[in-house]
Amino acid sequence: MANVYESPKARVNSSMLPQYAGRPVCLVGRVEKVHPTGKSFFVSDGEGKPATVELNEPLEEELSGVIEVVGTVTNKGTVIATTYHILREDKGTSFDLELYNEALKIVHDFSQYYPFEVSMSA
Amino acid sequence: VPGAPSQALGSVIVSGQDPDLFDNIRKIESGSGPARFRLMMSDGLHTMSAFMLSTQLNPMAEQNLVAPNCVCLIKKNVTNVLKDGRRVVIILDMEVLRPAEEVPGKIGDPTPYVEGQTKVAPAPPSAPSRTLQPQNGHSSDKGPSRDFAKKAPSTPGGSSKVVPIASLNPYQSKWTVRARVTNKSGIRTWSNSRGDGKLFSMEIVDESGEIRVTGFNQEVDKFFSLIEPGKVYYISKGTLKIANKQYTSLKNDYEMTLNGESTIIPCEDTQDVPMVQCNFVSISDLETRDKDAIVDVIGVCRSVEDITRITTKSSREVSKRTLSLMDMSGKVITVTLWGEEAEKFDGTGQPIMAIKGARLSDFGGRSLSALFSSTVMINPDIPEAYKLRGWYDKEGHALDGQSMTELKSGGGGGVNTNWKTLMDVKMEHLGHGDKADYFSCVATIVYLKKENSLYQACPSQDCNKKVVDQHNGMFRCEKCDKEFPNFKYRLILSANIADFGDNQWVTCFQESAETILGQNAAYLGQLKDSNEAAFEEVFQQANFKTYIFRNRVKLETYNDESRIKATVMDVKPVDHKEYSKRLIMNIRKLSAQ
Repeated sequence: MANVYESPKARVNSSMLPQYAGRPVCLVGRVEKVHPTGKSFFVSDGEGKPATVELNEPLEEELSGVIEVVGTVTNKGTVIATTYHILREDKGTSFDLELYNEALKIVHDFSQYYPFEVSMSA
Repeated sequence: VPGAPSQALGSVIVSGQDPDLFDNIRKIESGSGPARFRLMMSDGLHTMSAFMLSTQLNPMAEQNLVAPNCVCLIKKNVTNVLKDGRRVVIILDMEVLRPAEEVPGKIGDPTPYVEGQTKVAPAPPSAPSRTLQPQNGHSSDKGPSRDFAKKAPSTPGGSSKVVPIASLNPYQSKWTVRARVTNKSGIRTWSNSRGDGKLFSMEIVDESGEIRVTGFNQEVDKFFSLIEPGKVYYISKGTLKIANKQYTSLKNDYEMTLNGESTIIPCEDTQDVPMVQCNFVSISDLETRDKDAIVDVIGVCRSVEDITRITTKSSREVSKRTLSLMDMSGKVITVTLWGEEAEKFDGTGQPIMAIKGARLSDFGGRSLSALFSSTVMINPDIPEAYKLRGWYDKEGHALDGQSMTELKSGGGGGVNTNWKTLMDVKMEHLGHGDKADYFSCVATIVYLKKENSLYQACPSQDCNKKVVDQHNGMFRCEKCDKEFPNFKYRLILSANIADFGDNQWVTCFQESAETILGQNAAYLGQLKDSNEAAFEEVFQQANFKTYIFRNRVKLETYNDESRIKATVMDVKPVDHKEYSKRLIMNIRKLSAQ
């Protein structure tokens, strides 16, 4: 597993996962279903497309709402999560997943203006 | 209770109140046009046959509800004085208390009432060649036709034919118009060195045009309560003179004043008379009109503020209410109502509102104000209103609408979409034109000037003028011309705001300054006087915060030097969702070019 904590992680949506196989990513989506074993769950992104997130240890809490997952993309197109955090929606402002997706597309379409890939160590 | 002035008929008071009169004897059908019924009434003591049933009550007579000897209550009437001084009472509303069948017979032994030279049975008005059947017991009555020659549909009490409003002029005095009252003002009183007086005015319209009518003093008493806006009346014998255009925007060279001989009689046959004459201007076109122009507008009332009370310069208190009006141009404008109009306005259900004769002001760019002489109509029964309703229900309600008025509140970016960057302001030379320019921007505060940010202002409620410290514990306000033992602190904050491309010096007044500093002026004044460090801390904390600023820029010239002055009208936290959407949209637009 690449040093997820040390390299920049591209923000992606479900459709982009295949292009990032083996690389660290940040995926934001809405929790749809948790696997009974608690070792994986399914999310849908801002376009409504699904993605599977796998965990090294089973979940110890309830998952619901919008979640941000940081991890590595497998060859199968799933994400092995290194860490996640739930975006709380009870503090008034709800997270606009569709708007997030639009912004994400801008970043990818005009990546020359968003040079995030610059390595942190360099 | 409407009605003619009280008129004593011996012991009978025929007034707006409810006299009991007995309908005794004869109904007389007279003449051409709709039948007119003439009644002889008795109150047990006297009889008088100078009573005419208004045509709307004809069915009562035709169906024999009103029959000789029935007892009835006259609820509404108007008294007209004929040219020769005789009086006719037109019964507008009457209720039969006891039908004729139940009345045993004549009540009392009434004798004809004689009043001055008024003999009983004044002639019924209208059409030539009327033959009157002689009255019971009163021989003096004959149908005079001389006064009523050649005339149109029954104009009770009138003495001339119906002419169009457009033909009225000061050189003819025998005329009657049949018109609808589109607007009736309240009673206005005045008191000056020459005495007191009162007046009311109204505007009337018929197929040919419109004209303003004013009544003074006695005419106010006579006619004010009789007139109902929206209803049609026969009006005769007013005085015509050149119109004083200062008070009206109606299209007529003349205006009318009611005098002692004028008559106003309700007319039931209203089909040809238009409801109102309006020349509506679309809200988006208001930009091209001059300030102070009088215009007619119609639109959907999208929202309305609460009533506030203001004290005018003459120390009068008046109610005020603002609302926002939108029409099919998609544009919105702020309308201000005053006084009674403000108080009785009900904006629930987003009604259609039409104003005739509103004044266009350049306050906030463009805004409208209802004048004393304006007519405000809610959900008027005119085609434009229905069109608007249909449009609004289908599409209008979803539109954000761009406002012609710079409002302080409003959702971020929804109402006013003139977004600029600070670079744009300089590049586009905003504020260099005749009028001030308004724009919105997202910017960060990079400097706040704490020196001279507070000043001592007049403690009177609506006065914010700086007071002069008399150094004796008193403070003087030049504007109010008074001295006070105290003052109130007010803020004038000079700040520099910046975005990615440029910066701008701006001035923030009380509300925006308090928002930025997060404290109110009074508290800050206290801090400044007592705890310099804490006072400074407030400014430090406020620095480097980002807001949506709504600014006004104008080029100002002082002694040959011109400089752009920017004032903050409103400060709001950034609505990130809206901002993001806008940025994404702009990026996509740019990339498509």
